[in-house]
Amino acid sequence: MVTDSGNASARRTARRIAGRLNAPLPALVESEFDGTPRVVNRQLVVLVREEWRVVDRWWTEEPVDRRYFEVVLESGQNICVYRDREEGCWFTQNA
Amino acid sequence: MIACLLIPGFELRAALRSRPGLSLVPAALAPDPSEEPLLGPVTAAADVVGVKPGMRLGEALATCPSLVLVDRDPASVEQAWEEVLRRLEDTGFAVDPVEHGVVVFETHGVERLYGGVRPALERALAAVGSSWDPRIGAAGRRFTALAAASVARPGQILLVAQKEEESFLEPLPLSLLPLTGERYAELEGLGLRSIGELAELPAGAVAERLGADGRKAWRLARGGRSAKVRGRKPVAELAEVLVFPEAVGNELTLRRALGSLLERLLARPERAGRPFRKLAMSARLVDGGSWRRAVTLRDATAEVARLRVALGPKLQELPAPILELRLEAVEVAEHTGQQLALVEPAGEEVSGRLREGLRQVRASTGTGSVCSVVEVAPWSRIPETRALVVPRDE
Repeated sequence: MVTDSGNASARRTARRIAGRLNAPLPALVESEFDGTPRVVNRQLVVLVREEWRVVDRWWTEEPVDRRYFEVVLESGQNICVYRDREEGCWFTQNA
Repeated sequence: MIACLLIPGFELRAALRSRPGLSLVPAALAPDPSEEPLLGPVTAAADVVGVKPGMRLGEALATCPSLVLVDRDPASVEQAWEEVLRRLEDTGFAVDPVEHGVVVFETHGVERLYGGVRPALERALAAVGSSWDPRIGAAGRRFTALAAASVARPGQILLVAQKEEESFLEPLPLSLLPLTGERYAELEGLGLRSIGELAELPAGAVAERLGADGRKAWRLARGGRSAKVRGRKPVAELAEVLVFPEAVGNELTLRRALGSLLERLLARPERAGRPFRKLAMSARLVDGGSWRRAVTLRDATAEVARLRVALGPKLQELPAPILELRLEAVEVAEHTGQQLALVEPAGEEVSGRLREGLRQVRASTGTGSVCSVVEVAPWSRIPETRALVVPRDE
């Protein structure tokens, strides 16, 4: 008789699934009182280049309500972040 | 339904087949010398005295000084696993092996043949045989089936109806999720114990705290995505064995033996002129253990000289003299020859190389590893819905 937790097996599941390209990644963002990002992933925002909103699929069970910002960080990196108003958290994404 | 057949501690069970007496005493699979000294699966007798899989070797020996360490036997494991898969395939299931001891298959195609899901799964259990203590979990989704098999008793078939999947997963421990030890400890620190507790949290909060791994775990905690199971292509047995009258460790003799095996393998009529894409060499060591190495060729070939160059250096990795050398064709290419053109069209060589490269990647890492980007809604305002990454297995 042999025993094993079997957990290692369960960890390697769902190997072959078609994935989404450019999926949003969670970001650590501190924002100003007006909602614009001040610090993104522990780097100061030097410039907010652009801002836009995406409101879509409000008729479905998975509505999209995002406020995007294209910002320049102190390292010179150009990055897009958005606040998901449905989930109440921040993500980075190539918009 | 998607079914998952699980044989816990498969590597230890396969290694103990030649020493059945050890299954009744405290024994564990020895750690791999090239990795951290952590124990593999353990016998029930070892479990009773407090030795657990994944325990540090020093701690395990302090807990149970009489613990027997069983050497890894990769060749026997591979052979035994192939036997199990073939028995399932002979019963009519298109299997998708996940790892040694875990295989997933779809029951849809054989349900009518056997008179329902349960009779079909009973056939699968009977085909594998009770000596392996297999258990089966079946559900609408892959992860739920795997979780069901993980909690089933030996010989049990655990069916989870689609409506009950969420409530079934709820009380199960978080350790079933594909999380690193660090993340698992972090969740425990937050007071989370069960899959249900994680599933109740908002997706955004989990993603923010745990990143991409956390999102994946959260999705699985809610049952995971429903993806179809794609069975492997059944492989034809193409192997040659050379048994030595006494132990051989001399490299020259080994190379000659390899040359002889190659010639015998190339002469097999089942090959039908097709070149080899992937080969595996295995050996039975003089001290009772075994050794195995697989080689994926850059170009599928049937030239003895090139095959010798690819396989020969592996013989230097043998840890001890051997009693038996086995050469097996794991994958054989589909084409029988290469038709050369007098003048190749522009770009043909580059695209040919690309196709060949992709075939090599697929051969060494398995189906689903090569993907292509498909634009589905390039006009969408939501960036992640514009394109999908789709497995390309043609």
